[in-house]
Amino acid sequence: MILPAFILSAVLSSAMADGTASITVTVDGIEIGSGHLVVGLYDSAEGWDGETAIDGRRVAVTGDVAEIEFGPLPAGRYGIKMYHDVDDDGQLDTNLMGIPSEPFAFSNNAMGRFGPAAWPDASFAVDAGENAHAMSFR
Amino acid sequence: MFANRREMIALMTAAGGMAGLPGPARAEPGDPVFEAFEAARPEQPWTLGYADAPAAGLDGVAQRLTGRLPEGLEGVLYRNGPGRFSRENWRYRHWFDGDGLVQSWHLEAGEAPVHAARFVETRKWRREEAAGRFLVPAFGSAPPDEEGLSGPDGMNAANTSVMMLDGDLLALWEGGSAWQLDPDTLQSDGPRVWGDGLAGLPFSAHPKVDPDGTVWNFGQDAARNALVLWQIAPDGSLRRADMVGDVPGGMIHDFAVTERSLVFLVGNLRFERMRLPYLESFRWDGSRPMRAIAIDKADWSQRRTWDLPPGFLFHVGGAWERTDGTICLDAAMSGDARFAIGGAYDVMRGVAREETVSQARLHRLVLYPGGRSEQSVFDDGYAEFPQVDMRLTGLERRYTWHVGWQPGQIQGPTDIVRRDLVSGATQRFSHDADVIVEEPLFVPAGPAEGEGWLVHTALNTRAAATELHVLDARNVGDGPVASWRLPYACPLGFHGCWRPA
Ligand SMILES: [Fe+2]
Repeated sequence: MILPAFILSAVLSSAMADGTASITVTVDGIEIGSGHLVVGLYDSAEGWDGETAIDGRRVAVTGDVAEIEFGPLPAGRYGIKMYHDVDDDGQLDTNLMGIPSEPFAFSNNAMGRFGPAAWPDASFAVDAGENAHAMSFR
Repeated sequence: MFANRREMIALMTAAGGMAGLPGPARAEPGDPVFEAFEAARPEQPWTLGYADAPAAGLDGVAQRLTGRLPEGLEGVLYRNGPGRFSRENWRYRHWFDGDGLVQSWHLEAGEAPVHAARFVETRKWRREEAAGRFLVPAFGSAPPDEEGLSGPDGMNAANTSVMMLDGDLLALWEGGSAWQLDPDTLQSDGPRVWGDGLAGLPFSAHPKVDPDGTVWNFGQDAARNALVLWQIAPDGSLRRADMVGDVPGGMIHDFAVTERSLVFLVGNLRFERMRLPYLESFRWDGSRPMRAIAIDKADWSQRRTWDLPPGFLFHVGGAWERTDGTICLDAAMSGDARFAIGGAYDVMRGVAREETVSQARLHRLVLYPGGRSEQSVFDDGYAEFPQVDMRLTGLERRYTWHVGWQPGQIQGPTDIVRRDLVSGATQRFSHDADVIVEEPLFVPAGPAEGEGWLVHTALNTRAAATELHVLDARNVGDGPVASWRLPYACPLGFHGCWRPA
């Protein structure tokens, strides 16, 4: 497994040299130390509203923080939706009233008003090179 | 991969649901509400009831004023109410926003009552206590720079009532989970989850317990004209929870049970559209009737409805059902919601005025089969916090105890009243004018209805101290048979429960 990882990182650095970007997402406030974080990356308002992620990750939870890498990507505006699949059933659990019962968060730690956070509030600029973005469950 | 929009929209459902409208800018030099309250305090001793309790809580021993603890009255009185209203010199706008402060009074023969108070350590409390400021929107307030909410219990203040359930103490709030506490230490455990798919659902502050120990409760989803109904076994295990639709989004705080029915009165403070703070989603709509709904306990799809004159209520006394299905019920009702949308804001500014003080009176309703109904009012004074001999929950009974006050009395109730629902007669004891009385809880002693004690706390604003009084529930007019006073004042609370020794 060392070789593909090496190749990937080589691809990554050459891509970045071409003016593309990466995002390192740091997540804190993970309250339950089991299950997976399910993370979706979006690159447009249409994709955000229409639930068409351009990339996704399913990351095992090992503590109260986590780090997720996306890239290489073209520079631009991106948004992230994330939930903590505590019971590993592959979906955001909701209760009888449809209220999510597993933790979730949006990039910029944006909050929805009467639903998911809106693209203008949750999207952030990604420049060429390495970008850091911090998210938090609360 | 993600919940659909409709599901996420449901985030907004419970009183909990609202997520972050940006708050007002935080750099304002002074909060006018905070400053108005501080300015009023020296002149208005009643404001003690709406002042912040210490974050660490309170511990003390009450000194005897008169009488002695009646034989057999041993146990713990628990009470809950809002106890923290301001942070960083910014004050909540509405009384119901304050964080829940649970109090215990240990009554033991030959001993002075031992009192303790602890804030319910909700997620909200812990995060805001750590941050030193309010972080989330409250029921009636949007603190500066609030962060919004990401979960259903994010704004749960656990501030309305308490119940004992199979040895657990639960702090209750209308819009979210019951919060579990250790009944001996009052330490918080966390939200009660009744079963799969039930986390974060509202479990309201006025559960009813049948004589066989079955617990009934509801939670309201006003935005979607729905209720969640709960049936819990005496051992605290879930028997059933489900959604019931077509219940108008009038703010429902309390309900009644009969042997056969769950009875809801839907007043005219109606959900209009989602606004923040949440309370502002409701508007008075006197153009429609008040709606009474009786849902069959055994089959939640079966219901009967009645249209009543417009009105508003927080609290029901109790109900029973005749063999022909007629439902008899008493409730503290008013013609408008002036306290909920007026007075409860005023007190936070240190203002008490005739125009916004509650005008609730005890009413009797008779709901006949076929939709006909009758209503009568006891018009000899105002009434709130109706209490019954809980052994007769859902059964025919004669007495309701409540706090009372008169027109012009704007600083809180002074009277403890026993009402005979049949004859209309009252027994009334009036404390001094500078005493604000709280809910009188009935504690049974003998077998007959009303044979027992009334235990109630009160804020003595002259002494700046909270008191505990015990009355003979059959002889309320005689006044306390025993009274004690703490060396400090506690914020006024809402509701309590009794745990026998
Ligand atoms: Fe209440």
